Amino acid sequence: MENQGFISFLGDNLQQFLSYTAFASFTFGHMVMILVGLAFLYLAITKDWEPMLLVPIGFGIIIGNIPFLEGLSIGVYEEGSVMNILYQGVRLGFYPPLIFLGIGAMTDFSALISNPKLMLIGAAAQFGIFGAYGLALLFGFPANEAGAIGIIGGADGPTAIFLSGRLAPDLLGAIAVSAYSYMALVPVIQPPIMRLFTTKKERVIRMKPPRVVSQREKIFFPILGFLLTAFLVPSGIPLLGMLFFGNLLKECGVTRRLAETARGPLIDIITILIGITVGASTQADKFLQWNSIKIFILGAISFMIATAAGVLFVKFFNLFLKQGNKINPLIGNAGVSAVPDSARVSNNLGLEYDRTNYLLMHAMGPNVAGVIGSAVAAGILLGFLS
Amino acid sequence: MRSKLYIYLLTGCLLFAGGQAAAQSQSDMCFNEILVYNIDDYEDDYGHKHGWIELFNTSRGTVDIGGCYVSNDRNNLKKYRIPKGDVLTKIKPRQHIVLWADNMPLRGTFHINFTLEETNTLYLTSSNGRDVIDSLHFPTGEGPFPIMDYITDDNGDHVVQKGSIPFYPSNNVSYGRLMDGENIGGDNGWAFLAKTTPSSNNVILDSEAAAQRFKQFDPYGVIMSITAMLVVFIALILLYVVFKNIGRASINSGRKKAEKAGVSPDVVAVAQDAPGEVYAAVAAALYLYAQQEEAHDIENTILTINKVTRAYSPWSSKIYGLREVPHKQ
Repeated sequence: MENQGFISFLGDNLQQFLSYTAFASFTFGHMVMILVGLAFLYLAITKDWEPMLLVPIGFGIIIGNIPFLEGLSIGVYEEGSVMNILYQGVRLGFYPPLIFLGIGAMTDFSALISNPKLMLIGAAAQFGIFGAYGLALLFGFPANEAGAIGIIGGADGPTAIFLSGRLAPDLLGAIAVSAYSYMALVPVIQPPIMRLFTTKKERVIRMKPPRVVSQREKIFFPILGFLLTAFLVPSGIPLLGMLFFGNLLKECGVTRRLAETARGPLIDIITILIGITVGASTQADKFLQWNSIKIFILGAISFMIATAAGVLFVKFFNLFLKQGNKINPLIGNAGVSAVPDSARVSNNLGLEYDRTNYLLMHAMGPNVAGVIGSAVAAGILLGFLS
Repeated sequence: MRSKLYIYLLTGCLLFAGGQAAAQSQSDMCFNEILVYNIDDYEDDYGHKHGWIELFNTSRGTVDIGGCYVSNDRNNLKKYRIPKGDVLTKIKPRQHIVLWADNMPLRGTFHINFTLEETNTLYLTSSNGRDVIDSLHFPTGEGPFPIMDYITDDNGDHVVQKGSIPFYPSNNVSYGRLMDGENIGGDNGWAFLAKTTPSSNNVILDSEAAAQRFKQFDPYGVIMSITAMLVVFIALILLYVVFKNIGRASINSGRKKAEKAGVSPDVVAVAQDAPGEVYAAVAAALYLYAQQEEAHDIENTILTINKVTRAYSPWSSKIYGLREVPHKQ
């Protein structure tokens, strides 16, 4: 009799234990998302596509899609859980400015300072953001969500997270994953568009080597750059302020250790945290929705528009430039701010048509201008739509 | 004295930032409206009428209030725990939830274990049971108490008095914020309202949210695109103009310095137009010539040959190091 009681007690406990395991509430959606996470890991490890981003995001997706019983403070959306605490940096938007601090501390703006007209290419590529904004409105998204989706076209993960955290927090997971995925796919998406809009003759244009920039100019750049852009778009201060501050740490010459920390350990830590928590925020029930698919489609379109706008703008700009001063339109794609991948794409494509024409230094100009441009665009969207 | 002032300012800024940084968490919830005597007002799912408390999510993100506590006793903040695991406890951005103050907690998640007649103070506490997210002290007793309402006329939206009540609690009269989640107007944002609005906005103004207005006036995003691109271009054109001139000034000052030093203007012109590679080649040649250990790169494109000096910094000073061996007296 006692044995029977013990067996039923054991059975009940085992049953309860089984209900706590992930197998009990595993759904098809979870399986799909885990496969997506594994695909990210595969692409990062075997194809070397943006491993610094895709490995944390891919593993984060797997973490976020292990089903569990709610109420145990485990999940990323459960108040007080460890993952939730780490996720606050994404939700409250304090990771993106810290990433921008690191980007500023590792970016050399000399290509841009020596040839300031390249800044305009960085502005032109922001057409992608607003093209996608219009399309998102047509897809039926409210204006604030359309703005957050459009920023994917800026090819700037931290900016996308920063803006969607404020304008459309419920779409943050889809927007962040979409932005980072397309940033990883820059070498795949951009070259066909660049080839489509350029002639063979244009692709072999040789640009004047950049002049040497003095340290004084490099110090002036972050200070004046911040004052000029922040006065125009104060809502972009968190991003622009940290970007230019990071650059000042690098260039002023007296804060070497701070610059090294900002571009080294600090940005690495934040990249790990942002990647893993953004990945974990893609829980199947929140992520596998028709809206997420629409966001992915719009993200791809915005990238394409941005690339095309950058290339076409260079061609248009060349109409006004003297022979010898012309710009190779293959650097137009670098106006999207995926640093330095899009500049690398310009360089590689340039080398395909002329093995001695290195465009990397030139492409870095619009590339870093794109970072400033997308931060300004984010500030405008935030100012208008929040 | 001055440094102290800076410390206070910095602390103030940090505290302010800390306060601001609480968005989209349980701390974004607040009391929004209450009704003590519900005679023929809002009914619960059982068809009964009781007093109710409306909570409002002030943030733009979903907030889960599961695990939060509601109480009417300062010494017992954990009087009623809103159960976790109920999907309905996830409050959408800028949305409301009504708790029934009927002292019948067995009727469901949103039926709390006290009534509003007991005391005139309410506390909303976060799931850690310690941090009071919001508290409310509502007036009771003899009045008269004015009843306020928002109206929209040629002067825009503003609050006007619409009669009064002789005492409170009065039947079917709610006490709520004049604007959802705001502390503007009335008694710290609160007043007796002209109509009860459980589970909906206390006031619906004609003025819409900026995003809605944008979509209304600009359904295809054309105006937004043109305006925003104009601003982006202006920002970067400004940078272009400034740095074009700074570049010129820098070249000119370099030329003047070289001329002062007796270098021929032709050599200066050639040197300034020379691309970075030329400098790199010259520097590399000098390096090879001198074969000095001190020569080192500080940047990607420029090879500089400098004497290495180690600048003193208290941060790296061993005097202040934590691992300093204690001195024997």
